[in-house]
Amino acid sequence: MAYHVQNIMLVASGLSKSYAGKVALHPLNLRIEPGEIFCLLGANGAGKTTTINLFLNFIAPTAGKATIGGLDVTKEPLASKRLLAYIPEQVMLYKNLTGLENLEYFTSLAGGRHTASELAGFLDEAGLARADAGKRVGAYSKGMRQKVGIAIAIAKGARALLLDEPTSGLDPKASNEFMATYDLFRAKETGTRVGIMKQGHLMATYTTSELGHSDLERIYLEHMHE
Amino acid sequence: MKMTLLIARKEFTEMLRDGRFRGAGAIVFTLLAGALLLGWQSHREVSAQHRSAQEATRAQWLQQGKKNPHSAAHYGVYAFKPQVPLSLVDHGTDPYTGVAVWLEAHKQNEFKYRPAQDATAVQRLGELTGATVLQLLVPLLIVLLTFSAFSGERELGTLRQLFSLGVSPAELAAGKALGVAAALGVWLVPAAILGSVAIVAASGGGEVMAAAPRAGWMGLSYLLYFGAFTGVSLAVSAWAPSSRVALMVLLGFWMMNGLVAPRVAADLAKSQSPSPSAFAFAQQMQLALAKGSDGHDPGARAKALETELLKKYNVDRPEALPVNLLGVRLQDSENHGNEVFDESYGALWENFAAQNRIHQRVAWMAPGLAMRSISMGFAGTDFAQHTHFAKAAEEYRRMIQRTMNEELTHRAPKTGAPHLAGPELWNKVAPFAYTAPEAGWVAERQAPALGVVAGWFAGSILLAGWAARRIRVV
Repeated sequence: MAYHVQNIMLVASGLSKSYAGKVALHPLNLRIEPGEIFCLLGANGAGKTTTINLFLNFIAPTAGKATIGGLDVTKEPLASKRLLAYIPEQVMLYKNLTGLENLEYFTSLAGGRHTASELAGFLDEAGLARADAGKRVGAYSKGMRQKVGIAIAIAKGARALLLDEPTSGLDPKASNEFMATYDLFRAKETGTRVGIMKQGHLMATYTTSELGHSDLERIYLEHMHE
Repeated sequence: MKMTLLIARKEFTEMLRDGRFRGAGAIVFTLLAGALLLGWQSHREVSAQHRSAQEATRAQWLQQGKKNPHSAAHYGVYAFKPQVPLSLVDHGTDPYTGVAVWLEAHKQNEFKYRPAQDATAVQRLGELTGATVLQLLVPLLIVLLTFSAFSGERELGTLRQLFSLGVSPAELAAGKALGVAAALGVWLVPAAILGSVAIVAASGGGEVMAAAPRAGWMGLSYLLYFGAFTGVSLAVSAWAPSSRVALMVLLGFWMMNGLVAPRVAADLAKSQSPSPSAFAFAQQMQLALAKGSDGHDPGARAKALETELLKKYNVDRPEALPVNLLGVRLQDSENHGNEVFDESYGALWENFAAQNRIHQRVAWMAPGLAMRSISMGFAGTDFAQHTHFAKAAEEYRRMIQRTMNEELTHRAPKTGAPHLAGPELWNKVAPFAYTAPEAGWVAERQAPALGVVAGWFAGSILLAGWAARRIRVV
């Protein structure tokens, strides 16, 4: 990738979102450094997906701003998205196309040019069986679709990953990741830093290496019961 | 641009693999091809009938033997409106206005042979022509192909993924529009080729050259019309909160455009600019004609004419005139009648033109009305071309009357003794020849409707771009 790792940093400054007076996200200040894997923990409605949607500029912030690699996502909606890859909770694909065709479509829309064998390689890397790559996605399981989604992210070669409640593994390599999850084990295992969200507030952040799993569970439950 | 093509290709591939699209497209294609073939067949039959009837009426005229020229004038001839080859696509107003008229002395007749008179109400709704398929069913197919273009992807979740890649909404909309266009092309291009073959097959010598520019205008207008429907559909799909809402809104628009608006426009035109019933029209014309004389019985007008002539030639009795009094009187009656016809038909046609202008105004809300007008215009079956033909036929009728009356005036014995003319006179009347107006003539008259369709096309593109840029991703 042409982008230097140093530039790909996710920053939220005073980022907030309200819907008709109801606050979905209270002013959020967050800085995710290159190489970091940041896991946002919280129950449904805690504001995790709202935060991701704000970074993707799918919704307009009520106040504050989100930047990716220094680009304000509302001012550079297309360029900022070129720097990251996003994997939703459920990867959805076009059912009348094969897995390979879906991958080709998404990667070429992201501006990538790959040969057929390169594309097949990405699917291999994501763990999709060769025989399945040529089948129409209508017959795929959720997990198979997820693998195509991962292949799309790999093909894009983005240094920043946004994962919304991921359910299957991804080798982070040199990427920095911003992950929203309700899964404590995954947060502990994959994350370098964990943030706990509740009712639109980022309650606290912890470095996972300093915490044992039981610590994280205890802290999480404390926050949830407050 | 490259992205637009990528999106178009994917949309195209997906649609071709979708059984519902293949089924719906095949139905529309079959109906269109069927309508064109039926149109071609009936065009061929009707043209052949007209040709032989035209030849027969000419032969009868020439072979009517020796008789008084005024009897020949009463005997009369038929004139048939030539069928432009493109009329096989769109019958327009022909079934209502008729295509043949009897040209005789004293009268500008109404047209005859109006199939609509014999048709049942069911037939009137269900007549299958290329125009019906193109104006109603193809837009419906476009709606079904595009209503979920954006809303469906949002509901499925792929819209989030697409936009997370940094795809521009305008390019996505353009790609989808192109994809739909390509998919429709799969069915419409063969249909257009079939239609062209039918038109060429239906054309006599030289007619192809006249049909080509008309077909070009018509084809281009239909493309703009389909483009407008695609743009509106994409805009609604981007704007609607769900595919269900998008489909309901678009079906509503489709019904308003194709079924409700024509009804509303017709009722509005009738109430704003009421046209007389055929009976009232005939009665009013009869009253106006009665003010003159028919040249047969010597009324007040005939007496005055006689006095005037005697004075002019300074003689004291009709037998001493250098012209035949009956001939002059008949031509005078024709002249009076012509004034009445010009006024009556002029007023009637102006009335229809006023109704047409009301249609044109309603068309700004429903482009289907404008498309209907354009389509029958270039098919040569609209009311403007009906009157164009009617005027030419009436000119021909007047020429026959003048020729017959001049013969009587200058050749018939002044004593009032019988005068018989023969083939020499009949041959003085050239066969009726009519050339339909050129495409440019039609385009000029269809300018407001062309403006509506072009305006809707441009407006719908802007609307689709605008709606796509404001689309809610989540």
